[in-house]
Amino acid sequence: MLAVALGATTVTACGNDWGTAPEDQGSPTTADSNTATTSGEVVAVDAPGVTDTEIRVGGVASVTNPLGGHYGDSFDGVQAYFDMVNAEGGVHGRKLVLAAKRDDKLASNKAEVDALLSVDKVFAVLPVATLLFTGADRLVRDQVPTFGWTINPEWEAKDGYPAYNMFGQSGSFLCFDCGTPTLPWLMEQAGAKRAGVLAYAVPQSADCADGVRASFDEYGKSTGTELVFVDKSLSYGPSDLSVQVSKMKDAKVDFVTTCMDTNGVVTLAKEMKKQGLDAVQSLPNAYDHQFLEEFGDLFEGSYVRTDFAQFEVEDKPEGLQLYLDKMEEAGKEPSENSMAGWLNAELFVEGLKAAGPDFSRAKLIDAINEMTDFNAGGAIDPVDWTKAHDQRKSDTRFCQFLSRIEDSTFVPVFSKPGKPFVCAVVTPDGVKTEYSA
Amino acid sequence: MTAAAAVQPVLAAGAVGDFFEYAVRGIPFGCVYALLAVGLVLNYKTSGVFNLAFAAQAYASAAVFYVVRKEHEWALVPAALLSIVVVGAALGFLLDYALYRHQRTASPLAKLVTSLGLLVAMPEMVKLALGPGVKANPPPLWTVRRTDDFLWRVGGSRFVLDAGQIATVLATVFVVIGLTLLFRRTALGLQMRAVVESPRLLRLQGVDTDRVAVVSWILSSMLAALVGVLLAPLFAQLTSLDFFTLLVAAIAACVVGNLTSISGAFLGGLALGILQAELAGFLPTDSVVANGLRPSLPFVVLFALLLIRQSVRSARTVTDPLAGVDPPPDPPPADIRPAWMTTATRAFAVVVIVAGFALCAWVFDDYWVGLIAAGVCLAVVMLSIVLTTGVGGTISLCQCTFAAIGALATAQLTQHDVPVLVAMVGGAAVAAAVGAVLGFPVIRLPGIYAALATLAFALFFEGVLINLSWVSGGDTPLRVPRPTVLGTSFLADRPFLVLAAAVFAVAGVAVIALREGTTGRFLDAVRTSDTAASSVGINPARTRLVVFVLGAGLAGLGGGLVASFSGQANYSQSFTFFIGLVWLVLVITAGSRSVQAAIISGISFFVFPALLDRLFTWPVNFVDTNPGAPPWLLDIMGFFKPEWAQGVAFVLFGLGALTYAKHPEGIIAAQTSASIRRTVRFVERRRPAATSPSNGLDLEAPA
Repeated sequence: MLAVALGATTVTACGNDWGTAPEDQGSPTTADSNTATTSGEVVAVDAPGVTDTEIRVGGVASVTNPLGGHYGDSFDGVQAYFDMVNAEGGVHGRKLVLAAKRDDKLASNKAEVDALLSVDKVFAVLPVATLLFTGADRLVRDQVPTFGWTINPEWEAKDGYPAYNMFGQSGSFLCFDCGTPTLPWLMEQAGAKRAGVLAYAVPQSADCADGVRASFDEYGKSTGTELVFVDKSLSYGPSDLSVQVSKMKDAKVDFVTTCMDTNGVVTLAKEMKKQGLDAVQSLPNAYDHQFLEEFGDLFEGSYVRTDFAQFEVEDKPEGLQLYLDKMEEAGKEPSENSMAGWLNAELFVEGLKAAGPDFSRAKLIDAINEMTDFNAGGAIDPVDWTKAHDQRKSDTRFCQFLSRIEDSTFVPVFSKPGKPFVCAVVTPDGVKTEYSA
Repeated sequence: MTAAAAVQPVLAAGAVGDFFEYAVRGIPFGCVYALLAVGLVLNYKTSGVFNLAFAAQAYASAAVFYVVRKEHEWALVPAALLSIVVVGAALGFLLDYALYRHQRTASPLAKLVTSLGLLVAMPEMVKLALGPGVKANPPPLWTVRRTDDFLWRVGGSRFVLDAGQIATVLATVFVVIGLTLLFRRTALGLQMRAVVESPRLLRLQGVDTDRVAVVSWILSSMLAALVGVLLAPLFAQLTSLDFFTLLVAAIAACVVGNLTSISGAFLGGLALGILQAELAGFLPTDSVVANGLRPSLPFVVLFALLLIRQSVRSARTVTDPLAGVDPPPDPPPADIRPAWMTTATRAFAVVVIVAGFALCAWVFDDYWVGLIAAGVCLAVVMLSIVLTTGVGGTISLCQCTFAAIGALATAQLTQHDVPVLVAMVGGAAVAAAVGAVLGFPVIRLPGIYAALATLAFALFFEGVLINLSWVSGGDTPLRVPRPTVLGTSFLADRPFLVLAAAVFAVAGVAVIALREGTTGRFLDAVRTSDTAASSVGINPARTRLVVFVLGAGLAGLGGGLVASFSGQANYSQSFTFFIGLVWLVLVITAGSRSVQAAIISGISFFVFPALLDRLFTWPVNFVDTNPGAPPWLLDIMGFFKPEWAQGVAFVLFGLGALTYAKHPEGIIAAQTSASIRRTVRFVERRRPAATSPSNGLDLEAPA
C-alpha cells in the first residue's frame, strides 16, 4: 500500500520540462533587449557578444572525433569572409570576430554548444559542421542564430521543433526519403535506363534508398527510367559487394547511385570495375579533390552533385571567384567545408545588414527569413528562406550543379554561360530542363 | 579440361549453380575473417590473452606501411620488412616485456582489460604520431596495379579475383599451414601452449618461459602486422575503427575453433564469408529478413555458437596448478583502515562533497558545471559496471547497450506524456527485463565466453536493433525533457546536477548495501569457487543473474538520466559500443568494486579531455599574445596543439588500464591502501613503543 501510495504521489508530483514549449514558438518576431540610440555612427546594441567595436561569433566542428569527421576547414571559410568584410570596415561599425573555434571531440557536442553560449557568450553560432548535433535543441530553444553545414536532421524545422533560427549553407530542409526528379532526370540525360541503389542498414542511409525508390516511382515513367535493383541491408564497415554487383549485372543496371560513405563507394567501384559492370555512378558526396586524386581512375564518367557552383566552372560567378581569391590570399585550400563556412558567413553578414544598425538576434533571424533569393553572389542557386526551413524551396524545380569525372578531374556539365546550375523542372508534360544563375 | 570448362556446367544448373557461384564469391572475404580469427586464436593459445587490441596492432603497422610506402615512397620490400618484421616484432617484444610478462598467471579478466586498454590507447597514439588529415587509399602489399590488372578469371568473366584477394587467400593458407605445423610438429609450439597453462611448471622442467613467451608475442604481433598491411587496401581510408569492425565480426570464427584451434578458426572464417555471400545471393535484397539478418549474421552466429555448443558451455578455465604459491592479494582498504581513520575519511568525504557543490554553485561557469553534470549522469551507468563486473564478477561488454535501452525507453515513454522521472524508472525496468533474458544464458557461460556473449549482444543491438525506427525513432533522435518536481524545474544544469547527484547517491548506497550484504557475501563465495558455494546452499547462477539484472536496470536508469540531461536519446552520441569500451576501461582502472571509482570515472570522461584542451590551448594563446617572446620559447610553445586533447585523453585512459594487472583492486583502492599504511605508520611512530599496531595491519606489506 505504501509503495503504491508513494508511486502515485511521485507520478502526480513529477512532470516534464521541454524547455520553452516548442509549439508556442514560431519564427521569432520580437527583438531581445536592445537599446538603440541614434547618437553617433555606431548604434548601441544590447545583445550577447556585441560591443561597440565587435560582434563575436563562435563555431563548433568535428575535428578530432575518434569516430570520424574532419570538418575543421569550415572555420577557414568563415574567417576568410570575415577578414574581407573587416577590411572594408566591418558591419554596422563593428568588426566581426570568430572568437571561438570549438572541437566537439567525442560525445561533447552539447557541452561545446553550451560553452559557446555560456562561456564564449557569442552573438551567433557559426560555423557548425559536426558529425552529430546534440546541441541543436539548446540553440533552437534560445533562438540563437545558427549557421552551418546541413548534414544532420536537426537543421530542419518540424512540427514542435521550430528551428527557424537554423540556417544551412543553401537551405535547411532535409528529407532523406522524399522523392525528387533529380536522379531520373540525370539518368535520362546520361542515356541510362535501369538504375540500382545500395545503402547501409542504418536509418539515414536506408531512408536515402527509400527516397531514391520514391523518386523513380514518381518520375521514372516520365523519364523512361526504372529502378531495378535495391539493396539497403549492407553492413556498415568493410564488406564484400561481389554478389550485389553480380546481381546488378544480371539485371542490366546501367546507372548506380549509393547512400554510402567513401569506404562503401570505393569498394563498390572496385567491384564494378572488376566484374566489368559498365554503369554510370552518381556520387552525392564526392566533391573532394583528395578523393579524386586518390580514386579518380575508379570513377571515370561518374556524376558529382553539389549545391554550390564547383570551383572548376569556367564562367565563375562573382561570389565563387571572391571565395577562391580570398582563400588563396589566406593560404588555404578551397574545399567543400570551407565553402560551406564561407556561405554561412555571407548569409550571416547579409542578415546583419538587413536587420539594421539596431540589430538583435531576433531581428537577424527575421531578416534572413524574409530573404527570398539569397544566392551568395551566384555561388549557389537562389534560396527562398521564407520556406527553406521546412519544405523544398520549390515543389517543382530542383536545381543543382553537376560535374562529371574525366581523367581524374571534375568537368562541369549541364552548365550554360552565366547559368551554372541545371534544374529538373516538373511540368504536366514531364520533367524538363532549365538553367539557373 | 580447364578449370573454367569444368565449372561452366555447374553454373548452368540454376539454383545449384547460384549456390556454387555465391560460395566461390564468399571465399576471399571468408579468408579475411579467417586471417583475423587465426590471429586472435594464436594470441589466445600462446598467451591466454583474448587480444582485442590485435586490431590496434594491425592498424599501427598499417600506418607505418602507409607512411613509408606512400608518403616517403620507399620500395615495397623494405617498407614491408619495416612494417611487418621490424615494427611487428618490436611491438610484440614490447608488449611482452612491458606488460604481459607480468600477467602470466593473471586472471582472464586482467588480460582482457589490458587488451582493452591497448585497444583504446594505441590507435590514438598512432593518430597523434600521424598528425591531422585523412590517410586515404592505403597502398597495397603487392605491385600489381589494383584497378586494372586482374589476375585470374574463371568461367568467362563471372569469377574474377584481384591481386589483393589472391594475396589474402594465399597468406591465409600459408599462415594456417605454418601455424598448424608449428603447434603440432615442433617443441617450441608445445612450449608456447604450455607456457599459458603453467609457466612455473615449465620452468621446473628447465624451459626458459620468458623466451618462449616473447617468441609467442613476436609471432602473433608480426601476424597482426601482416594482417594490417594486407587488409588496409580494403578501406578507402586508414582508420582503426575499420580494423576493429572486421575483427569483432571474426570473433564468431574463433568460437568455431573454441578459441584454440587454428584450423577451426580458419574453417569458421571461411564458412562465415560463404554464408554471407549465400544470404546476399538468395535472400530478396529488399526484404525485411535480409535487412535484419544480413548485417547481424556474425553476431547471431557468435551468440548462437556460445549458447548452443556444448564445448563452450563446458569449457574449463585454465588455471595454473602452481598458482597456490602466489601471495594472497592485498586486503581492501576498508579491512586495513583503523576505526578512527574511517571516521576521519567519512568526514573528509563530506567536506569534499560540500566543497564540490559549492564550487559548482558559485565558482565554476556553466560550461564546467555542464560537463560535471554530464559526468554525474554517466556515473550512474558506471555504477552498473561496478555492480555487474566488480561485484557480480561477470565481464559485461554491453552495459552501454543497457544504458541505450533505458534511454530509448525513457524517450518513448515521455512521448506519451509520462513524467520523465517515472519514464526513467520505466526505462530501467525495460533494461532490467532485457538483462534478465540475456543474463539467463550468459551467466552460465564460463569466463571469457560470457564476455564474448555480451559483446555479441552489444554489436547485434548496434548493427541491427538500433536501426529500427520503432527502437531509435528514426533519423532524428527522440527528444527527452528535463523533469519538474512539485513545480520545480530542472531545466538548468545546476539543478539537474543536484538531481543527478541525488540519483547517484541513492544508487551508490544501494550498490554498497548489496556488496556488503548477504548477496555480496554470496558473490564473494561464488567468485572463490562455484562448487564450494553450492555446497553451502548458494545457487551461483541465480546469485549472478540477480546482480546482472540489477546491473542492467541500473545502466538503464543511468541511460535515462543521460538522455534527459542531453535532451535526446541519441545512440550515436552517447551509447555506442566503442564508447562503452572506454567506460569499462575507465571504471576497471579506477576500481571495479568502488563507488568512488564510478563517480570519478564518469566525471573524468567529460572533464579530463576539456582540461587537456585548455592545457594545450594555453601555449597557442601564449604564442599569439606574446610575439616578442624569445624564439626558442615560441618554438617550444608552438609545438603543442589543441587538437591533441582528445587523443591524449584516450591514450591516458587506455594506459591507465595497464595498471590493472598490478592493481586489480583499482588505482583508487591501491592508492587508498598506500595512504592508509603511510598514515598508520606515521601515527604509530608517534605512539609509545608498547602500543601494537591496530587490527593486525601488516605495515610491511607493499603499497
